[in-house]
Amino acid sequence: MTKEEKKVYVNKKGLRLDGRKIDELRPLTIKAGVLKNAKGSCYLTWGQNKVLVSVQGPREVLPKHHSDPLKAIVKFNYRMAAFSVPDRKNPKPGRRDIEISKVCGEALEKAIMLEKFPNTQIEVWAQVLDSNAGSRVAVLTAASVALADAGIPMKDLVTAVAVGRAGGKIILDLNKEEEDAPDAVDMPIALMTSAKEIVLLQMDGLFSKTEWDEAYELAAKALEQIKEKQVQALKEQFLQESMETETKEKIKAEVQ
Amino acid sequence: MKKIVVPGELITEQRKKMGEHVYSFNGKIYSDVIGITDNESAFASVVPLKGCYIPKYGDIVIGLVVTELFSGFLVDIGSFSLCFMSKEGIREPLKRGSVVSVRVSKVNELNEADLSEPRVFYGGEIYSISPVKVPRIIGKNGSMLEVLRRGTNTNFIVGRNGRVWAKGGNIQLLFKAIKKIEEESHLPNLTNKMSEFLLKEKK
Amino acid sequence: MQKNVLLELKSEKVLTNLKDSVRTDGRKLDEYRKISIEKGIYQNAEGSAKVTLGDTEVIAGVKLLPGKPYPDSPNEGTISVGTELIPLASPFFESGPPSTDSIELSRVVDRGIRESKAVDFKKLCITEGELVFIGFVDIYAINFDGNLFDASAIAAIAALDQAKIPKIEDEKTVKDEFSGKLKLERKPILSTFAKIGNFLVLDPDLLEETAMQARFSVATTEDNFVSAFQKGLPGSIKKEDVDSAIDTAFKAAKEIRKMM
Repeated sequence: MTKEEKKVYVNKKGLRLDGRKIDELRPLTIKAGVLKNAKGSCYLTWGQNKVLVSVQGPREVLPKHHSDPLKAIVKFNYRMAAFSVPDRKNPKPGRRDIEISKVCGEALEKAIMLEKFPNTQIEVWAQVLDSNAGSRVAVLTAASVALADAGIPMKDLVTAVAVGRAGGKIILDLNKEEEDAPDAVDMPIALMTSAKEIVLLQMDGLFSKTEWDEAYELAAKALEQIKEKQVQALKEQFLQESMETETKEKIKAEVQ
Repeated sequence: MKKIVVPGELITEQRKKMGEHVYSFNGKIYSDVIGITDNESAFASVVPLKGCYIPKYGDIVIGLVVTELFSGFLVDIGSFSLCFMSKEGIREPLKRGSVVSVRVSKVNELNEADLSEPRVFYGGEIYSISPVKVPRIIGKNGSMLEVLRRGTNTNFIVGRNGRVWAKGGNIQLLFKAIKKIEEESHLPNLTNKMSEFLLKEKK
Repeated sequence: MQKNVLLELKSEKVLTNLKDSVRTDGRKLDEYRKISIEKGIYQNAEGSAKVTLGDTEVIAGVKLLPGKPYPDSPNEGTISVGTELIPLASPFFESGPPSTDSIELSRVVDRGIRESKAVDFKKLCITEGELVFIGFVDIYAINFDGNLFDASAIAAIAALDQAKIPKIEDEKTVKDEFSGKLKLERKPILSTFAKIGNFLVLDPDLLEETAMQARFSVATTEDNFVSAFQKGLPGSIKKEDVDSAIDTAFKAAKEIRKMM
């Protein structure tokens, strides 16, 4: 028997290989406003993933023929540092980087009020510094915070998470070991949570429709938790000792 | 009472008049930026804590001349692209790097602005702040401007685009004070705090 | 790099201030900005370091991968240094393939390490003539406020020092198992100066870099050797500049090494 066949992805107690429950997220930290030269920025750690996102613009479109006279265009750049994966990655953007950049950019376009900035481009630069499955949802969640940090008007934040299956069970936020399971399904999904609009949805694997339902419900619950952390990261920047007690207590209450 | 809101956050379910940086959806009003809202106000509106400069007709801004064209100049006002300023009526010699205060005389649907009535400034220094903080630097009826002038004895002008040109007096103190206003713009009682701050720093 | 009129305007004051022996942030002409070094942050990298030099911030990561040795050095591994100047770090950086600035930066950092024999390449040998370790050092600028050269060089050395050496089985690395740590023979430190008018200033910030006519970098080792020179930009320097730079570099590098 191979090593993989011996793995019990979810045991009788409902615990996964790393001790998490089926609906438990890996530790997630979000910090906004971390880069001095960027209009907006965000540093996010999710399990082993560590991503840094910076926003520039809205500014002039180059090359000029890409510009849209009716709205801003979004240029999303997803890049992985060479040392962010177990085997070194070639720094030159590959097809995977380009596809992820495309779907992440499109996810944000729905949320941003692009018509307010015709003829400009909004650039999002996402650098993955360390990874262990789920880097694209980490990047998208961070990018949303960075855009809000830049003061770019949006209808809602975009919140992302990955759900899937391993060892026959539908689980939340797969790590790399789980992604390598023989029956693995990986489904990154992102929503503008207030209006429940899905702006990113991809899937790898074999799923039944019932499993999709289960996975969606699992994701929807988790997205509420993640959204709260995004909001907290943004508001945290403005909590100060000198604030009037009433206002400070109110924000503290909201943030908790 | 004032509170900080983020994009997509509910402002009110009441039927209020809509102000800046809000949008309505299914009868409710939401914020579209990170900013401060006052739920005791008759308007549903958000004052942004972060943002960029969008040129508006009539604004006075501080610009830097970038290039000379045949019929005018291209000026950098820190907006999405360089702006055109016609040579008509300009008597003073302008070159790359000239500092001017100008009026936004026209804005098209692409947010491209035309500039006019330049006043050239010689010497002095420039400090940049986020354009959304400019109202705080000016204060109600110019009250904060007064505090800054009295506290530093500097001759300065604040452009709507977030650029400040200053000459004479204690420029470093002025910039330090402006930075403080920028960082604490969401806190109450700022005008009095700045008066005290400048008095202390003078010593 | 794109030019910026506001930056140019502000940089005009730099020379006038230098004549009064004043730098924008009050430093002496031969003084470094505040430096911080943080190591071992990224788990997939065998070695990593984050360095801040004033407001300039860079990250370096090391991957030790098995590869074939060069035919003329069958028992030696090697290093390969790359840098990325992405728009994340500055509104003045353009996207696209590595710029000439980024390539020059990589090669100067590489030279400082390679020529000083900081890494004993023989220690990177796995099987003579067949398999050696190649140390890939990838450096990313995170926030640009002048002097990426020194920040990158410090980050590279900090990341290489004590990097975990992967265990090798059947010519492949064994996941999460290590056979030891990389010990550096020397710690070369790169010191970069800006020539502004007749002045030579150490560790130029963004404003001083905008004002400079020439750039000069020198890498020095703890045993008082020089392991790299690089004069950059179209301006010129004099012999006295190089002499003065070497003296300053020896002194300043000592302080930086204490931090590592």
